[in-house]
Amino acid sequence: MSPLSPLRLLLPLLLFLTLAVSKHTSNWAVLVGTSRFWFNYRHLANVLSLYRTVKRLGIPDSQIILMLPDDMACNPRNAFPGAVYNNADRALDLYGNNIEVDYRGYEVTVENFIRLMTDRVGEDMPRSKRLLTDERSNILVYMTGHGGNEFLKFQDAEEISAFDLADAFEQMWEKKRYHEMLFMIDTCQANTMYSKFYSPNILATGSSALSQSSYSHHADADVGVAVIDRFTYYNLEFLENRVKDRNSKVTMGELFDSYDPALIHSEPGIRYDLFPGGEEGARSRLVMDFFGNAQGVVVDENEEGGGKGKGNETEWLEELRKIEEMIEEAKRRHNESLRVAPQHVSVMEEVIAREEEGRRLKRSEGAVKVDEEGLWRKKAVGVAALVGIAGIWAAGSWLDS
Amino acid sequence: MLSFLPLLLFNALIACTAARSDYHERLLLRPLPQSALLASFTFRSNESSGAFEEQNFRYFPRSLGQILQHAHTKELHLRFSLGRWDASNWGQMPWNGAREGGTGVELWAWVEAGTEEEAFSRWLALTNALSGLFCASLNFIDATKTIRPVMSFQPEGDHHNMSRLHLLHGTLPHEVVCTENLTPFLKLLPCKGKAGISSLLSGHKLFDASWQTMSIDVRPVCQKEGDCAVEIEQGVDMVLDLERAKRPLDNPIPRPLPIEEISCDGSKPYNAPDTCYPLTRTADSSWSLNEVFGTSLHGACPLTDDRDGNSHTVCINVQPEREIQVKTAGEYDESRSASETLRCYKLPVGEAFDLVLPEQQMTTGLVLPTPPLYAARSINGHGQERGSVQAVIRNPSTTDAVEFIYLESLPWFMKPYLHTLRAVIDKSEGNPVKETYYRPAVDRRRGSHLELRVVIPADSSLSLTYDFDKAILRYTEYPPDANRGFDAAPAVIRLLSPRPPDRKGVYTRTTSLLLQLPTPDFSMPYNVIILTSTVMALAFGNIFNLLVRRFVGADEVPSRRGLRTILQGKLERFKSLVKGP
Repeated sequence: MSPLSPLRLLLPLLLFLTLAVSKHTSNWAVLVGTSRFWFNYRHLANVLSLYRTVKRLGIPDSQIILMLPDDMACNPRNAFPGAVYNNADRALDLYGNNIEVDYRGYEVTVENFIRLMTDRVGEDMPRSKRLLTDERSNILVYMTGHGGNEFLKFQDAEEISAFDLADAFEQMWEKKRYHEMLFMIDTCQANTMYSKFYSPNILATGSSALSQSSYSHHADADVGVAVIDRFTYYNLEFLENRVKDRNSKVTMGELFDSYDPALIHSEPGIRYDLFPGGEEGARSRLVMDFFGNAQGVVVDENEEGGGKGKGNETEWLEELRKIEEMIEEAKRRHNESLRVAPQHVSVMEEVIAREEEGRRLKRSEGAVKVDEEGLWRKKAVGVAALVGIAGIWAAGSWLDS
Repeated sequence: MLSFLPLLLFNALIACTAARSDYHERLLLRPLPQSALLASFTFRSNESSGAFEEQNFRYFPRSLGQILQHAHTKELHLRFSLGRWDASNWGQMPWNGAREGGTGVELWAWVEAGTEEEAFSRWLALTNALSGLFCASLNFIDATKTIRPVMSFQPEGDHHNMSRLHLLHGTLPHEVVCTENLTPFLKLLPCKGKAGISSLLSGHKLFDASWQTMSIDVRPVCQKEGDCAVEIEQGVDMVLDLERAKRPLDNPIPRPLPIEEISCDGSKPYNAPDTCYPLTRTADSSWSLNEVFGTSLHGACPLTDDRDGNSHTVCINVQPEREIQVKTAGEYDESRSASETLRCYKLPVGEAFDLVLPEQQMTTGLVLPTPPLYAARSINGHGQERGSVQAVIRNPSTTDAVEFIYLESLPWFMKPYLHTLRAVIDKSEGNPVKETYYRPAVDRRRGSHLELRVVIPADSSLSLTYDFDKAILRYTEYPPDANRGFDAAPAVIRLLSPRPPDRKGVYTRTTSLLLQLPTPDFSMPYNVIILTSTVMALAFGNIFNLLVRRFVGADEVPSRRGLRTILQGKLERFKSLVKGP
């Protein structure tokens, strides 16, 4: 038998797994707080609570984009240095000792958020600040802050409108940047924010209807401000109590059914119509499809069907051989470059010329020495010129008269 | 009185070793006056330059190594700092200030490039990559915040092609330093904060310190020709207030002690049993590592190279008679050196380790090394149009003159006038400024850069002043919290003489400045829009009226009396419509 024969057993299994579990192969989370200043502590606590939850359910830091517009943990007003709490019992320190904030402070702007979502970033942008998703990625987008009818304020300085957001998501869809998206927003009149969406495969939920405020849950007397919002609090309560581990089969429908307007003090909204399968399809999705990390694998679809097994195997072997050749070639090239120690004379000359040029340019950008004597000479020249001009004028007026 | 071992000596103790791949770590504890504790963590690892070029990393962090290679950076210095070093109480800074940074984030690096433009584009690549690695807004170091110091910094490493190296320097004085910066810092260490002295570092205590600085230095080190290594030294220096640090994490708010636990001054009269004049405590207070750092030390990092007698990782610099109890279940070793003022401990592997210092009445005190200079800087003047900066630098030495470089990097919206620069020495005449380098600011493109070489005679102080104008920013250039003010970076002072003991140099920094700029009322544009709209509506309405209406005299209008006249009028209009013109 060929050495690849276990693959033949594995392949159908993998296919089965992919079809049975879900169609996405990675999970990403974009968690955005949009409020600055200490009294908005609860918005950062909201975001950090979601951050802890998705991390608990398996999404790694490299696939979480966390945007925190202000620093609460190391804020001089914080009586608990290095800690952020979302409950007055202070059982869980949300900041902890292992946290990676991708965008912080002044970096949290509408422009940066839209650039992140649509991946229109500069060439030097590090990978940790980019949303490197593809058409098989499920994305959880969570936003919280102060908002109103069809807008959400960023840092009390600018706004993102529901139209901007809808257009950004459409661009993402056109660029095949997501498979399915759960949009969750906790702000005043939150449901207006998703009302303008028109791209497919988005499931959206918000904390309050048009002209309704979204309220905080409770305050901590020692922290001195409210620590969490109601909608987020009850979402977290559900996620903590019902979604205990990564094998959880709890559906989104159950999560949505747990929303109680009497407790949340506003009417949470859910938008199903953009999702494939409508309400039924959306409600049957697992919570883990958005809050957890998928381990699914997708095998190329043209390899489906039993008869091609042998053909696939030879193809694979062929590919492996090609890769091996490429590695050999790279190694050979590397060794060759090592062996060529003395560089060509002309190259060396070029380098020296460039170095000299560099030396010449070097001073052009730096500070220039201020010469005291030169300063006096310049002043003397200036005075002489002025005196000369005055002399000419005097002479002219004297001749004229 | 006992003279205490200067940190200098300690510095020599962990002097760099051979150019091979190895890892060392060291923690130095040193009580300071007023129940403060200085803790200096040093983590150093090497990688031979050959292995570094081939990306074979053993202890050197791969993530940082690849960034340095990508940005062609040969030497890198990165600082995250918080708080102020109280030089009048705590004396000379640890490591002569060479590991200190200005408040916020400070970065300087030697980038290899052929041209100035190439160097700058690589510098931008470096700052962006580091911003991703360290979760800091280092990408905000753009052309306006970058300077090219002439005299203030010297490379610490051994470089072969200095002509192709470009020194660039940038600061972010407003940058917050918090746990998200510590997390990647610890991840660069071989033991990742899980074992060894790094297990003591947690954000809860580090960012509650009176002063702290996290530093990363990467430099090439050559023993002899061709035997080179890339060395990374990570350091954390912090001054903890012992009373504050001892508060438990879950209950850090100080509450009054019950009166039974307070020792009251019996010599004073009391009018009630629940009143008390507390006695000032004279004894050195008790503390332990676990208490002060909030976590326990999980034994030694097994990757530490324990050859060359570098295995004693935790050192404490106290009086010889100070009692220290060691609490561990594993094997440890104690050694004393430098006339017994330095006690070092070899940590057990895999067992928790704790040092407990009980309360003790000490008869001898601490002698702290005097700093070579005291520097303070402030903004003077009033109003939102202009101001002036005054820096007062004092030379405490009674015998030696001090020569130093003074570097200012100002934001573009703070425009100094060089002709107003005055340097006055209080006890002597003459110009103390020997050399001046200056680069004026260009609006929105670069900041000003001022470098002075100054000599202060013994036992005198220098007052340096200059005036500046405050620029008016555009509406969109204001940050969201514009009313807080804008930060100006700390001035960097580098000592030239007395000669620094090593290549790292002797540095001091002033604090950063908070600059109030004229800040508009941000709702003003909306007022303007509303007012303009009103004016336009009024004007437009009138003109529109004039254009579309026909104005006739009152007597020309047929009088409307009763329904009959109206009907007649309608009928006539209808007739004329039917007939046509």
